[in-house]
Amino acid sequence: MPDAFDRKLQELLSYPRPPAPGDDPFVADVMRELRAERRRRHVILGVFGGIGAAFGLAGAAMLLDDIAGVFTRDISAMALTQGALFLAGAAAFYSWFMNDDWSTGG
Amino acid sequence: MATDRELVIRVTGSDDQGAFQMLVERHQAAIRGFLVRLTAGDRGTADDLAQETFLLAYRKLHTLKAGSSLVSWLHTIAYRQFLQDRRKHARQRVMAEPPEPGHDPRQAMDASILLPALLSHVNEHERACLTLAYAEGMSHPEIGEITGLPLGTVKSHISRGKRKLQEWLLEHDHSLSGPGRAGGPGQETNRA
Repeated sequence: MPDAFDRKLQELLSYPRPPAPGDDPFVADVMRELRAERRRRHVILGVFGGIGAAFGLAGAAMLLDDIAGVFTRDISAMALTQGALFLAGAAAFYSWFMNDDWSTGG
Repeated sequence: MATDRELVIRVTGSDDQGAFQMLVERHQAAIRGFLVRLTAGDRGTADDLAQETFLLAYRKLHTLKAGSSLVSWLHTIAYRQFLQDRRKHARQRVMAEPPEPGHDPRQAMDASILLPALLSHVNEHERACLTLAYAEGMSHPEIGEITGLPLGTVKSHISRGKRKLQEWLLEHDHSLSGPGRAGGPGQETNRA
């Protein structure tokens, strides 16, 4: 009985798996979405990168006269908290943007 | 013909989209079939999830360790995508309805009709374990790796799922001892 049932289950649950031809609609959809996603990423990363670079340049210009002070002054608790929050926000944004699932590694 | 490993190296090394397309062409049937079983026959959802699976695989391909099986890894992603989708749509999802009392499935012997009704009688973990064991011919440890379930849990899901399906088929008078179509893609699955 168990052998016959195993065969029956195998028969019921199995599915055909021929490789898809290159013009298969599913494959075409996946590749189209892949290209669209790459374009979106490039645009978003370009925009955010540009904003970041602009802020960096502006900050550098403002600090130019007092750049040494940035590294010698004590960093306040408030600045540390803000920095930590900013880093956490950046990590959350990155995870969302990359749709990262850490558990799929390996 | 290039092996999976060679194609993966071409994708991760030089972002070769042609190589990735070959991987999709090669493995789409297995992943879509697996997801159709998991969703109890909902082909639309299964194809959406399969597409998400391949997109996520493309993003994370660099994390695939040398020597790891690409097929198992794709199944892992597909299973997680399925669970994620289940959680997201837990409230509004319309499950495949169990057959009405008095409904005689003997009149609908076609597997495409029988299967959704049958699979709706086991839960999603049992469905996944049974499909991986019987359709993919995977061993229990491999199934545990894909689903993230302990070995003992995998075994109990398979045995409980089998019992439920057996009861349902017997209850609806489906022949269990008839000559099963030999072959199919699976290997011997008496490990279950």
